[in-house]
Amino acid sequence: MKKKILGLIDGQSGNIGSIKKAVKDLIREKPYQLKVIKGNFNPNRFDKIILPGQGAFATLMFNLKKLKILNPLKQYLQNNKPYLGICVGMQILSDEGHEDQIVKGLSVIPGKIKKFSNKKLIIPHMGWNTVLISKKDPIIKNDLNEKDFYFVHSYIYENIKKENILGLTHYGKNFPSIVNKGNIYGVQFHPEKSHKNGLKLIKNFIMKS
Amino acid sequence: MLKTRIIPCLDVIENKVVKGVNFKNIRVMGSAVDMANYYSSAGADELCMLDINASYQKRKTFIKTVESIAKVINIPFTVGGGVSALQDITDLLNAGADKVSINSAAVKNPSLIRKAALKHGSQCIVVAIDGKRHGRQMRVFVKGGRELTKKELVSWSKKVQSLGAGEILLTSMDTDGVQNGFDSEMLKKVTKNVNIPVIASGGVGELNHFYLGHLTKATGLLAASVFHSGKFKITKVKKYLSSKGVPVRL
Repeated sequence: MKKKILGLIDGQSGNIGSIKKAVKDLIREKPYQLKVIKGNFNPNRFDKIILPGQGAFATLMFNLKKLKILNPLKQYLQNNKPYLGICVGMQILSDEGHEDQIVKGLSVIPGKIKKFSNKKLIIPHMGWNTVLISKKDPIIKNDLNEKDFYFVHSYIYENIKKENILGLTHYGKNFPSIVNKGNIYGVQFHPEKSHKNGLKLIKNFIMKS
Repeated sequence: MLKTRIIPCLDVIENKVVKGVNFKNIRVMGSAVDMANYYSSAGADELCMLDINASYQKRKTFIKTVESIAKVINIPFTVGGGVSALQDITDLLNAGADKVSINSAAVKNPSLIRKAALKHGSQCIVVAIDGKRHGRQMRVFVKGGRELTKKELVSWSKKVQSLGAGEILLTSMDTDGVQNGFDSEMLKKVTKNVNIPVIASGGVGELNHFYLGHLTKATGLLAASVFHSGKFKITKVKKYLSSKGVPVRL
């Protein structure tokens, strides 16, 4: 049987080492092979794509454009193919990021990325926090409800439709920690740093048919 | 709810975890990779590793150790010790560290913090501060606590925040190694004046010290000897904190 292809985008936004390791361990003996995407690619050749990100929204968008990843990625997402965006990889699914300057996102899941507005909060929101599942979905089966995941971020998804929220987390207020539309997912936390629960989530994404 | 982080710290020479004060009476506690692997599966919320003898010859082995550890753990990993230039930070991140801690070099050259935060993002830049009482002031020390600087602790803490540090790792040299508890007074001074996360370090000897540390508003509690010696298991500390109403990841 021909192996399916899982793409891991290296947007030069933080290192992809730990997510690569996690994915490699998970796809051992499974019908997937891993390909790291570092530049222009053919969206039709990929069955799943993961985009991890750290740092700034604008930097990631800029890098994707510079590396010629942006257009094929847009095409891939337009076809509603399975995607998992991590942290900034999730945030760029929105319409725009409000970080220093307003930068356009991919407009896949309507919303805006804005800074935590509560001045009393310690920022970044850094550490383990609980994700409350607000809607059932194959990537977060029941055993991942009310589990802790590792977060490190200062910006959150705002103005998002309720139907696009799969998970909520409380920090000053409830904010969307898992977003979704069709086969496209985004998580604000870092599953690759979230020990067993994080690995389960990545596994669920990879195994989802 | 955000959990208070329990962070074991490995002081490392090349690939061995050691214990010793100011390079004296150094005792090897075990292999860094083995201990990192153990703590990751034993419930540590993060792991911190410092190269305490960052000489040029031994640096390569240390970087290899970072790589080996990053391959086996899946919790956040902070690495520091001997970071003096932007390239050192890039090298450690490429080796698999999630965050890099800068200490003496930040004092000597504060713009390094800004440059590092701009290049890699604030979330991975930790500024380690060694504080100690000096007359009526609390002052910043560098070079493993051997050199007094002119920097006053609180103003330096604010300064590193404004330069883009994502977190402060605060060690009190007055309480470090004494096992009489964290330096609550020093910690509170800093947590009151910054709004980035502060990790408390130096002085844990008993379970209730962790609780007192939490009361200072530090969001991470770091300890070494009580974990390495086996005096407390991480789960024991967390169960204790949880019984006192502190949110922890169990």
